Amino acid sequence: MDQKILMKNEIGKLYIELAEEYNFYAPVKEKGNIVFKKILNPDDIVLEYFNSKVPPKEVLFPEMEVLFEYSLDGKDVEIQDRQDLDEKNVIFGIRPCDAHGFALMATFFTAHGDCEDEIFMKKRANTILMGIGCNEPKSTCFCTSLGGHPFQKDDLDVMLTDLGEKYLVETISEKGKTFIQKLKWLADAKKKDVQQAQELSKKSEESFVTKLDLTDIDKILDPNFEHPIWKEISDICISCGTCSYLCPTCTCFDVIDETDEYNNRGRRIRIWDTCQSCLYTLHTSGHNPRNSCIERCRNRIMHKFSYYPKNYDQIGCVGCGRCVQLCPVNNDIRAILTKIKNIEKEEEISA
Amino acid sequence: MPNPYIPMLTKVKNIVSENKVNDIKTIELEFKNQEDYKAFNYIPGQFAEISLIGKGECPIGIASSPTEEGSIKFTIKKMGTVTSEFHNCEVGDTVGVRGPCGNGWPMEDLKGKNLVVIGGGFAFSTLRSLVLYVLDEKYRKDFGDITVIYGNRDSGEVLYGDVLEEWEKRDDINVVLTIDREEEDWTREVGFVAAIVKKVAPSPDNAVAVVCGPPIMIRTAVAELEQLGWKDYQILNSLEMRMKCGIGKCGRCNIGNKYVCVDGPVFSLEELKKLPNEY
Ligand SMILES: Cc1cc2nc3c(=O)[nH]c(=O)nc-3n(C[C@H](O)[C@H](O)[C@H](O)COP(=O)(O)OP(=O)(O)OC[C@H]3O[C@@H](n4cnc5c(N)ncnc54)[C@H](O)[C@@H]3O)c2cc1C
Ligand code: FES
Repeated sequence: MDQKILMKNEIGKLYIELAEEYNFYAPVKEKGNIVFKKILNPDDIVLEYFNSKVPPKEVLFPEMEVLFEYSLDGKDVEIQDRQDLDEKNVIFGIRPCDAHGFALMATFFTAHGDCEDEIFMKKRANTILMGIGCNEPKSTCFCTSLGGHPFQKDDLDVMLTDLGEKYLVETISEKGKTFIQKLKWLADAKKKDVQQAQELSKKSEESFVTKLDLTDIDKILDPNFEHPIWKEISDICISCGTCSYLCPTCTCFDVIDETDEYNNRGRRIRIWDTCQSCLYTLHTSGHNPRNSCIERCRNRIMHKFSYYPKNYDQIGCVGCGRCVQLCPVNNDIRAILTKIKNIEKEEEISA
Repeated sequence: MPNPYIPMLTKVKNIVSENKVNDIKTIELEFKNQEDYKAFNYIPGQFAEISLIGKGECPIGIASSPTEEGSIKFTIKKMGTVTSEFHNCEVGDTVGVRGPCGNGWPMEDLKGKNLVVIGGGFAFSTLRSLVLYVLDEKYRKDFGDITVIYGNRDSGEVLYGDVLEEWEKRDDINVVLTIDREEEDWTREVGFVAAIVKKVAPSPDNAVAVVCGPPIMIRTAVAELEQLGWKDYQILNSLEMRMKCGIGKCGRCNIGNKYVCVDGPVFSLEELKKLPNEY
């Protein structure tokens, strides 16, 4: 691991050096919210932020994305593949939880069937994640309940720690190492910088207010598929889908053809979809396997905490807390999980 | 790895209206590129995502058998946007095809077994594929007795008249056709599929039943099979879910931790009973 120092006033220099080769994404402020955007002017980069409202998954998996384009000529059709998948990206300032979200997305997009989601996987392979650890997690954060950490390095290429005027820069992956070695002007880190980073990491971890024990949560969920608790959990839900649209691990999408009839050309696109919408599973016949909010709320929790462990041996939630902060009816996933954990206890008491 | 959302291009070679009310059509497609056709290696029971580019894409079971060389067929019921567009298409139109998708009927496991094929209504397309396949001279010896029970509301709804006629002429397959109510000139069985299953009473010994049709037919026919001593692992179903990608990426076709588009659409009753009742 190489350890370097990047001064905050050198961010512009970093950008200029990288922008020629990479699309440089970083947090900016837009309409009062933090979002990850492709930077055109380094002065727009915001360095004091908690996290973005929409996770940076949108950089590699945008809300709307072209699958391919087509032109129509009488009975003939010509198809044009995406030409931009080889472009290189840097995501500067991604938080460790969201970086873990990318790892889970990659797992999902490669796990099922005979083919990968080439569009996502190519972009992911061409992207450097330059993350920043979280000095001040919020009360809604619960990554440490999911095996994560505010300074988790595993899913990043380069890890930055905010030391005030400067960042400690640590190379994590081989890709990250090669990347940082090209930035010859970065000063070497001193022992006390590394020490300060370790202290910040420890302090941050200690500040977490939520700590859930989610070991074997799937073993409680599976036999309680029909438990009345699901009605209780879904009673206040309005099926708006905020929890899933803003989830860094949710990847569901819809597919639509958009045709410009005048010019005989168009594009097949995908757009984010949500299992919280009743249209999501509605058959054309009218039959709907998940017709009520009970089934849909249950599917969201089951998917992350039972189906994910079954299929890929890990939980499908990173504990970023967006669904906690932004749910309009305050249906807190931590409270839901606690209720589920308590099913077992109640049964022990009544047994 | 190529972009998995890009379809192969085919041309409509032929269109057949399958029923009297004309809301079911079989379209036959020829690949524009022979390489694509060679790569389209399928078995009965699989489906494809087919699209009229610019109008939309939907999952449709493959009605042809791999033994019918040169083209592939799909039988499409007019339901909503995309299926209606397919009903308006003409010979020569371009159709996008992605696939084959899904697991298909477990052809290797069926070898050496007696087959009981039970179908109701228009959900007969992948059964057509299956029966044509096992009747092919190359494969017939690999399978035991073959019984087909196929029910419809009325005689005007019976699909694939030409192939059914061929099958009825053969002595190595027992074809039992039924319609719900008596009709003039109808000389076959009358009654619901379940009642005919009871009457034909297929033996479960060394046999597999393949059941496709509307949910009520599946439920009643399976109940009859159970009465006859059939076990859950001997009964196969093909499921339909709302699908978009057909390749395990868009997320919507899950039942529990299984994705019907890749883990199915074919499941045994034994497998289905282990999944949540969300289909
Ligand atoms: C495994 C499987 C096998 C099937 N086999 C058969 C079969 O053999 N024969 C048969 O008739 N049916 C079959 N079906 C059912 C068939 O897929 C549905 O009837 C069909 O999807 C209905 O589509 P629709 O557009 O007509 O209906 P709608 O209700 O209008 O739309 C349903 C879906 O069509 C697509 N769609 C609609 N508009 C657009 C648009 N503008 N752009 C892109 N996509 C759009 C979308 O995916 C939409 O969700 C099968 C289904 C499955 C899952
Ligand atoms: S249809 Fe997209 S995951 Fe099955």
